[in-house]
Amino acid sequence: MFTAAGFEKTFEYIQLFKEGLICTVALSLFTVIFGFIFALVLSTMRLSDIRPFRFLAIDKEGRELEDGFPAMLGRFNPISFIATVYVEVFRATPMLVQLFIMYYVVLADVQFPEIKILGFIRADRFIPGVVALSMNSAAYLSEIIRAGIQSIDGGQTEAARSLGLSQFETMRYIILPQAIKNILPPIANEFVTIIKESSICYTIGVQEIMYAVSATKGATYRIAEPLVVATVVYFCLTFPTSKIIAYCERRMRRGDKR
Amino acid sequence: METRGDVLISVRDLQKYYNKGAIRALDGISVDINRGDVMVVIGPSGSGKSTFLRSLNLLEHPTGGNIIFDGVDITKKKIKDAFGNWKKLDIDLHRQKMGMVFQHFNLFPHMTILDNITLAPIKVKGIKKEEAEELALKLLDRVGLKGRANDYPIQLSGGQKQRVAIVRALAMEPEVMLFDEPTSALDPEMVGEVLDVIKELAKDGMTMVVVTHEMGFAREVGNRVLFMADGKLLEQGTPEEVFEHPHNPRLQDFLSKVL
Repeated sequence: MFTAAGFEKTFEYIQLFKEGLICTVALSLFTVIFGFIFALVLSTMRLSDIRPFRFLAIDKEGRELEDGFPAMLGRFNPISFIATVYVEVFRATPMLVQLFIMYYVVLADVQFPEIKILGFIRADRFIPGVVALSMNSAAYLSEIIRAGIQSIDGGQTEAARSLGLSQFETMRYIILPQAIKNILPPIANEFVTIIKESSICYTIGVQEIMYAVSATKGATYRIAEPLVVATVVYFCLTFPTSKIIAYCERRMRRGDKR
Repeated sequence: METRGDVLISVRDLQKYYNKGAIRALDGISVDINRGDVMVVIGPSGSGKSTFLRSLNLLEHPTGGNIIFDGVDITKKKIKDAFGNWKKLDIDLHRQKMGMVFQHFNLFPHMTILDNITLAPIKVKGIKKEEAEELALKLLDRVGLKGRANDYPIQLSGGQKQRVAIVRALAMEPEVMLFDEPTSALDPEMVGEVLDVIKELAKDGMTMVVVTHEMGFAREVGNRVLFMADGKLLEQGTPEEVFEHPHNPRLQDFLSKVL
């Protein structure tokens, strides 16, 4: 299965793995940054209180109706609805399908510049990869953000509102500062997940670690040894990252006990 | 003791239904709260006392009825202004004038005591930071916690937290204070220190509505006592009338259990 000669041959192509490592890290970093920004937008949309048909649910005396069709219409929030549909669709379909749709359908006719990032990463493959991964992880990240905000005790909102703070001020001064602490660790964990999931981008020819495995296989006719190397590289990437996250999490929790 | 002033909050036929009327948390409550009143609300658990109190500043939105506070019906989404034009009712404006104290304190854990108290005056009323802090320290001094201004809520005992929560509400200089079982979450030895603060406020003439299980306190401090059960207001009167000469059998039964 594994032979010393096989490893020797594989190590001749170690440059490919080095480039793959850099590509994977770049892919993950871009994804988590764009994914987070997009997730912020999504969770804000989901938690928004925009009800354009509210006026239909107010009776002549100026009171809000409780039930019936107009009341349902009055409660309808199209912004939140769109965000919910997005999140559910992206969480309920395979990453591979989303990636292929993005690469072969949505961005098929887009002319990407013929540049090579860092001298070896092809932009026309890399950018669709980042877009697809970001859109997918945004769906998950937005749920993390939403859960973090909703995990804050309702009494906090009640206390703030009873003091006369508006909904926005309550969010800004009371809820978000407390929610951030709950949100950061799972977001960091999502980063680790993205590192692993980015391997799927090899299917559209992004030159990340799995691409290096495939290229080495083609040149050496060995598969076991390149896979071992890839496994080690992934592990060395994700294991320390998750340990650092766990350490930061412990530090943050210590702050709570003051 | 007669009522002390003009009507501040007028509650008319207040209803709160759940499941389209299957559960009636509030079933037609009508009562006038006058300026200077210390109104104590008693009753068995699940009687709707807290729902009633929380409806007064619309933390619970009533299904029906009216709450007229300072001449404005705050249950409406839209009101007519002085010129007869419809405008949106800004509930935040009215909530500023109603201080609320909760059973579980609800202090903001990520802020110091001082910031807890000055946040709303600074952000909502637009008072200068120095002025807000001066007022906060003055109020903290009144409840004996001036030295804790820069501590965080987690460093305080339950009784201290509740005293800070009272100060936080007072810092907005409200016209009425609403207390939702302010001593129910406290250890027995801390109940007294919180009740003393509320008594002080009563002496100063603050209008208050207090939901409580402390019958001794209700008797001593309240000038009006309401007895609620099953979402209905079954009996009301002076502490003497309610505690010494109860008419309603539910009230008699309740008092025989708690006194």
